[in-house]
Amino acid sequence: MQASKPKAIEVTDLTVAYQDKPVLWDIDLDVPPGVLLSIVGPNGAGKTTLIKAILGLVRPAAGNVLIYDKPYEAQRRIVGYVPQRGSVDWDFPTNVLDVVMMGRYGALGWVRRPGKNERELAMQALEKVGMEAYITRQISQLSGGQQQRVFLARALVQDATIYLMDEPFQGVDATTERAIVTLLQELRANGKTVVVVHHDLQTVTDYFDWVMLLNIRRIASGPVEETFTSDNLRETYGGRVAFMK
Amino acid sequence: MENLSILIHLDYTLMVVAIGAALLGTVSGALGTYAVLRRQSLLGDAISHAALPGIAIAFLLTGSKAPLILVLGAAIAGWLGTLLILSIVRLTRIKYDSALGLVLSTFFGFGLVLHTLIQRTGNANQAGLDTFLFGQAATILERDVLTIAILGGVALMIMLVFWKELKLLVFDEGFAASIGLPTRTLDILLTSLLVMAIVLGLQAVGAVLMSAMLVAPAVAARQWTNRLRLMVFLAGCFGALAGVSGTIISSTASRIPTGPTIVLCATVVVGISITFAPNRGLVWDRIRHQRNRRDLKTATGRLLK
Repeated sequence: MQASKPKAIEVTDLTVAYQDKPVLWDIDLDVPPGVLLSIVGPNGAGKTTLIKAILGLVRPAAGNVLIYDKPYEAQRRIVGYVPQRGSVDWDFPTNVLDVVMMGRYGALGWVRRPGKNERELAMQALEKVGMEAYITRQISQLSGGQQQRVFLARALVQDATIYLMDEPFQGVDATTERAIVTLLQELRANGKTVVVVHHDLQTVTDYFDWVMLLNIRRIASGPVEETFTSDNLRETYGGRVAFMK
Repeated sequence: MENLSILIHLDYTLMVVAIGAALLGTVSGALGTYAVLRRQSLLGDAISHAALPGIAIAFLLTGSKAPLILVLGAAIAGWLGTLLILSIVRLTRIKYDSALGLVLSTFFGFGLVLHTLIQRTGNANQAGLDTFLFGQAATILERDVLTIAILGGVALMIMLVFWKELKLLVFDEGFAASIGLPTRTLDILLTSLLVMAIVLGLQAVGAVLMSAMLVAPAVAARQWTNRLRLMVFLAGCFGALAGVSGTIISSTASRIPTGPTIVLCATVVVGISITFAPNRGLVWDRIRHQRNRRDLKTATGRLLK
């Protein structure tokens, strides 16, 4: 990639440590606009931490993150985030529509309440993820796949250019997985950049066009066909991977 | 004629006390909702216990029992206790629950020592300070009601102004931070509101049982609704209900401390809610279970035919 080309996300020399223990070590990553990138690696490889570092949720020990050449703080409005489903308490007293409207809080700014406009955007997003029949459903009464769709809808109403998603396929059934993949590919087709923390090596080639292999250090990143090689996989998973392309 | 005026006077006193108890029940119930939803029920306990020495020190320094001064002392001590807990967790390897227990008991012990010292001095003005232990709503005067109304009103107002920000903070802190909300500041704000609710209730309910006034109404309210708005509202109502009924019961018989009575009233509300609330209540659960079994039986019966 040439230096003059714009980069949706540019991570340089990023190191993150939790109490002296490095979780990410000297990470470099360039994400060109309009790709569907999966971050794969074993448990404890730092995938979630990398997403959080890009979002400024964890403080790096060293290094730098730029979103379209600017720090994240200046670009919040164009970044959408789907946290891990397990990171929230689904018994929280609220319903589906309310959670999705939370995606508009950033654009609304302080104090202003969501109104008709936000409601409409939320409805559209819920239709896109096939959850329009559940708007008044209490969120504790959703299945894992439905919870995931609600989180995706919340990110969609952020109307972002870049989406960061932490394990959107975790614990969802095959139908939901299909629906989510279609949605992600639609986003890419509309010129969005999507970064997904992913667990299932079998589906990387089918679902994504870019891949980053991560195990505390960056092993490799680039287009799937060049990067997703058995050599790189062995290096990432320490030879314990029985998967062959 | 004299009897009548005494009666009117008594009623008036009771009314003032009941209004005070209702106000603080509302404030602690509504704000307690956030503590319950954030699983910080024990933090309330620590804050109320930690507030005790603050009252004694405020009295020792100023010699005054003006509610505002005592509340301020309690608030500062409660805040220091919270800060200390957070620092212990951050700077040492001591876990959160241990830090909580440590700070709670140390501050509370220190508070007890100070109160005993004050009592020994025989200062005529000191009578009433020990009510902060178990609460004595009968000591609530008009000026106390005014303090509770103003400070409690401000706390509830702040909660309403930052409604959506606080809601997002409690539900999904990571997402809140990603869209640029200053989660640490909001966290401090929410804890400050909690401190405010606690110190306002100390006089009536006492340090020992104050956390029940945060937790019980919210737990009861959660049984009846799945909306945060309604939960906060109901918790406020339940808190007021417990406050008023507890005050009235404790004032009809002499020497019954108000705090425990209020807390018992709140417990009754919790008991009723857990048993009878639709959807979440035990009775409802039982009925649903029976119905499912019956449906399953008839369904399998039909299949086997």
